[in-house]
Amino acid sequence: MIEIREVSQAYGVQDVLRQVSVSIKEKRITALVGANGAGKTTLLNVAANLIPAKSGQVFLDGKNISQMENIEIAKKIAVLKQTQHLSMRITVEELVAFGRYPHSKGRLKAWDQEKISQAIAYMDLQKIQDKFIDELSGGQRQRAYIAMILAQDTPYIFLDEPLNNLDIKYSVEMMTILQKLVRELDKTVIIVLHDINFAAAFADEIVAMRDGRIIRQGEAPSIINPDILREVFDHDFHIVRVGTRKVCVYFQPQDMIPQADPG
Amino acid sequence: MVNKKQVRRKFILLAVLILFSSGLYIYARVFAKAWDSGLALTYPVALRILGRSGASLLGMAVSATLIAVVSLAFQTITENRVLTPSMLGFDSVFLATQSLLVYFAASVGFMARVFANPYGNFFVTTGIMLIISMLMYGLMLRKDKNHIIFLLLFGLILSSIVQSFTNYIEVLLDPQQFQQLKAVTTVSVTNMNERIILLAAPAMVLLTLLFVRRSREFDVMLLGENNAKSLGVPYTRQVNQTLFLIAFGMAVTTALIGPLTFLGLLAVNIARELFKTYRHAILFWGSILTSILFLVLGQGIVELLRYAAPVTVLIDLAGGAYMIILIMKEHKL
Repeated sequence: MIEIREVSQAYGVQDVLRQVSVSIKEKRITALVGANGAGKTTLLNVAANLIPAKSGQVFLDGKNISQMENIEIAKKIAVLKQTQHLSMRITVEELVAFGRYPHSKGRLKAWDQEKISQAIAYMDLQKIQDKFIDELSGGQRQRAYIAMILAQDTPYIFLDEPLNNLDIKYSVEMMTILQKLVRELDKTVIIVLHDINFAAAFADEIVAMRDGRIIRQGEAPSIINPDILREVFDHDFHIVRVGTRKVCVYFQPQDMIPQADPG
Repeated sequence: MVNKKQVRRKFILLAVLILFSSGLYIYARVFAKAWDSGLALTYPVALRILGRSGASLLGMAVSATLIAVVSLAFQTITENRVLTPSMLGFDSVFLATQSLLVYFAASVGFMARVFANPYGNFFVTTGIMLIISMLMYGLMLRKDKNHIIFLLLFGLILSSIVQSFTNYIEVLLDPQQFQQLKAVTTVSVTNMNERIILLAAPAMVLLTLLFVRRSREFDVMLLGENNAKSLGVPYTRQVNQTLFLIAFGMAVTTALIGPLTFLGLLAVNIARELFKTYRHAILFWGSILTSILFLVLGQGIVELLRYAAPVTVLIDLAGGAYMIILIMKEHKL
């Protein structure tokens, strides 16, 4: 259980988070949504103790996170930021092995090797496990990073805009994988998302932010509502149902704007 | 996976080459010199030259080792393969500190004694250098560490400012002080500050161990700041401590043997090519051996050629060319 209590954060004079309180439900996908600069990424960073909060506390399974050792936090929370350029040439297997660092401190035992092979197998990377990371396609690379996080073997997984720079196909694949992680491996996933439709389609919970505050939080279907979304994004939305899920239409060509009932 | 047998074989190869170079160096020092000067090479004469050559070899090994570990650690915490601390003006800061020390030594008698004592001088200089470099690089690197061109520019400007400042201080000195200053700052491979070797050698051993002990954390830091933090490495603390150790190492080697701008770049990158790994546990030792080999072999050749050019010229020539190639490769120019 992660509980964020009245956390504030500022860069210089700019307030980024204002007295944010939220608790994250276990074994769910929670999506943080909001416009640019709403404070989603900062909230994620503070919750994972990557940056300290200016005021307020974060509790991880009842313990104040700022008083925990980095290595202890790393056994509970894995964070994946947008994939960056790597300054070294390593293979998929070596990358995944890094995930064991919090447990093994770099000295891999048989148990660690087993976890690494499991992670590689789970992400279906056996065929390319000896390839170098920079030889992979964007989607494969993303999967290799997820395998590293799986090897880290943490109950919580934080992702910061993992869909940036991914094709539609890989974005959907990525979200499907995350859903699988929650259902099959009982992980708790917190994800910063740009695209409200991915949140609508895949998230269980949505936390909607604006100007450093949480505007609404709740089950995904209850947040996907034109009035709430207008408040969050400052933009008009039209919601349609497709199957059991809701889809937001936010482009505004004349012929797509729903007309007021002709009466 | 790294093949342990292969790695060991490469280590042995490098060690053998170093032994060979040391032999070459000693041969050049003892025999070639004696023939040149027409001196009869009697046993006591040979022994005396040998003793001095041994001290020089030790000094070179100490400096080469320090430069190698410091450069590798610096490249890891700044996430680049092109820059080394020497290029960012760490050694010009050393020169400036020395001249400041001489200048103020004139007015305070106590300081004069500190300056004259090689150990006292060493400690004061190192202390001041630590403070200055921690301040500057702490500020600089935290802000913009991935921007190589910016860092290079910063180093260039810093070096010129500090050098002009040193020149200015030198003008203010009286001739005797100036002599004093030159005695301490014109150290080079052939004119080592041998008086501090008893201090530098243990410092080198200690620093090397401290760096090597962090190998695993350095490995993780290669994944970038965010990933390293997520894997539980206390990144900021690690960077600060490493910067501190780097400044200390640079102070020791610059005081002992003077600036060797491109040796670190050459050694670290050639070790990377040779061992084809990212593991610091291997790369640290590989860079150390490569660095010693370059310096000793270069100096041996130089002595054999009767000082046609100082070894730093050779190393800078090779290192400078290599750096241009690296920059072109990394930035696809």
